[in-house]
Amino acid sequence: MSQRCRLALLFFFLLFFCIAVRLYYWQIVRADELVNLGESQYGNYVRVSGLRGEIQTSDKFSIAANKLTYTVFANPKEIKNSDLAANALSPILKEDSASISALLNLDKFWVSLSPSVDDNTKSAIEKLKLPGVGFEDQYVRDYPEASMAAKLLGFVGKNSNGEDEGYSGLEGFYDRQLRGQSTYVQQIHDAFGRPILAKMQNMASPADGRTLVLHVDRAVQYIMEDELKKGLQLYGAQSVEAAAIDPKTGGIMAMAGFPSFDPATYQNYTYEDYRNGFISDTYEPGSTFKPIVMAAAIDKGLVDPTTKCNICSGPVPIGGYEIHTWNDKYSPNIDMTHVIQESDNTGMTFVAEKLGLNGMEDTLQKFGFNDLTGIDLEGEGGSDIKPRNSWYPIDVATSGFGQGLAITPIQLLTAFASLANDGKRMEPHVVAQIDTADGQTIDIPPKVVDQTVSMQTAKVITEILINSTDHGEAAFARLKGYRIAGKTGTAQIPVAGHYDPTKTIASFIGYAPADDPKFAMLVIVNRPTSSIYGAETAAPIWFNIAQRMLTYYGIAPTGGDN
Amino acid sequence: MNKAYIILGSLFFIILALIIVNITLNNFMSTQGIAFSQIQTKLQDLQKENVILEDQVLKLSSLTRIASESATMGFTPETAKTQIALSNNIPLAYNQQ
Repeated sequence: MSQRCRLALLFFFLLFFCIAVRLYYWQIVRADELVNLGESQYGNYVRVSGLRGEIQTSDKFSIAANKLTYTVFANPKEIKNSDLAANALSPILKEDSASISALLNLDKFWVSLSPSVDDNTKSAIEKLKLPGVGFEDQYVRDYPEASMAAKLLGFVGKNSNGEDEGYSGLEGFYDRQLRGQSTYVQQIHDAFGRPILAKMQNMASPADGRTLVLHVDRAVQYIMEDELKKGLQLYGAQSVEAAAIDPKTGGIMAMAGFPSFDPATYQNYTYEDYRNGFISDTYEPGSTFKPIVMAAAIDKGLVDPTTKCNICSGPVPIGGYEIHTWNDKYSPNIDMTHVIQESDNTGMTFVAEKLGLNGMEDTLQKFGFNDLTGIDLEGEGGSDIKPRNSWYPIDVATSGFGQGLAITPIQLLTAFASLANDGKRMEPHVVAQIDTADGQTIDIPPKVVDQTVSMQTAKVITEILINSTDHGEAAFARLKGYRIAGKTGTAQIPVAGHYDPTKTIASFIGYAPADDPKFAMLVIVNRPTSSIYGAETAAPIWFNIAQRMLTYYGIAPTGGDN
Repeated sequence: MNKAYIILGSLFFIILALIIVNITLNNFMSTQGIAFSQIQTKLQDLQKENVILEDQVLKLSSLTRIASESATMGFTPETAKTQIALSNNIPLAYNQQ
């Protein structure tokens, strides 16, 4: 090969090498940047989110819905007279005109003037025909019943990516179900910005979130909240809480607590306001625990309603301590029916000693106090019960009347509700069904968790509890003509190794009508000041709610002790 | 030889026809984008209107509003402790001739 040919070959080789390097640079090194640049010139990607699923009460009323609002924005570069525009916008946006003017004078292409305005405000701004002012659609959570069931619902906030995310309660627990799916839509435009149908891509609509249909009855929720608010004020309590459950299905019919918060303005509240104490806080249940222990002892054949207590003639000494009755009055040879009626701590010590440590452990297990209930709400807390090797005889005795162990109200309510359901303990559930965006319905069936006592024992303890309601401390507040199974509770609050002598957690638990229970309900009044007793605070609230519920359900009086 | 020319000529015309059809269809689809866009805008407007109306219905039928409206109309909550219920059929006067 001649010298000239070699030079020509080398020249072409170098030429191709340079082209290859350049191609590598454009197609590999700067590929992403150039693809984006190209796409931005003939089209754009738009992120489209599906609507968040609604939350509906049992009557299919959307208690948490979606509302269309608009973000008002401006392009300061297009505003000719910012002061004039600010003065015109100020009364409509209810903002200081100086603040709006300052925003309109910024050296930016996009500024937000108001994050969320309604349709009327939008129309008023549109009438001004201000150049450079625009609107962006935005769907936000809407609460047609205002703050009703706020602690049950939770709220929708923003995550670190600025996307909607549910926190606390149902919004938190079912966030993945409620959240709509987002998708990116690429839209190709012609030279005039008009969409080109032939080149439209990925036009699949984003999927909306799923809708939750609750067991919660809106009317019952309203009644409960109304009575709790009155009770909070009337008894000067720190807080009040209540929940009603359908004993046959475990469906939560209503759950409320005050003080509460407004989920639409959740930013203005603290964690304490969001927290649903009924599922997350533990407390010593006191006398409302007695029917559980009594039922277990009856079920094991250790006592029956006529069994006499042979240690009830005075304070009972155990391991260096003395068990007293709440009023220091003693009834020798009191029977088990009257132990519950009089809420006799010495009588319950007698029952607890008969159960023993093994029996007590078995009772706690069967009634579900060692586990979470599995309620479908975010933030459920567990109980605080000593491990087996830390139990002393005094612990067995005090647990008989609900001291020395801390449980959550939802644990107590589901355990107690089993007595109203022939001994079947149901898993509590707030959501009854889930409706998908494509019209399918997913039912959540009731789930039996355990058989706490036999059907016969459930009937026996029901009669004992009816007697307690009719003749116990809260008899003055009972509903005449109805057979209601219930028990008061006045739990002391442990502080620094002893019980606070002045503060209590007053409660009342029961179910009605006792022969065919429609609901079981627990009302807790935290640190009432007008009276420390459950019979004088929680019981009247319970009966007020129950009366309105029975009327609402059209349940007529069935007799009972008048 | 003539046959080959005829085949090549036919292929040329078929390809030309397909190219013309392709261009025509693409143009047609591009112009239809405007109509499609208008329909889409209309659909979105109706969906928005629907959401606004649904919101109004919910607000008007909320128990909170009904309670407040009924209070302004003079209705008061029932407070009686004892309820009277008619559990059996009551003999009515017109049945007793």
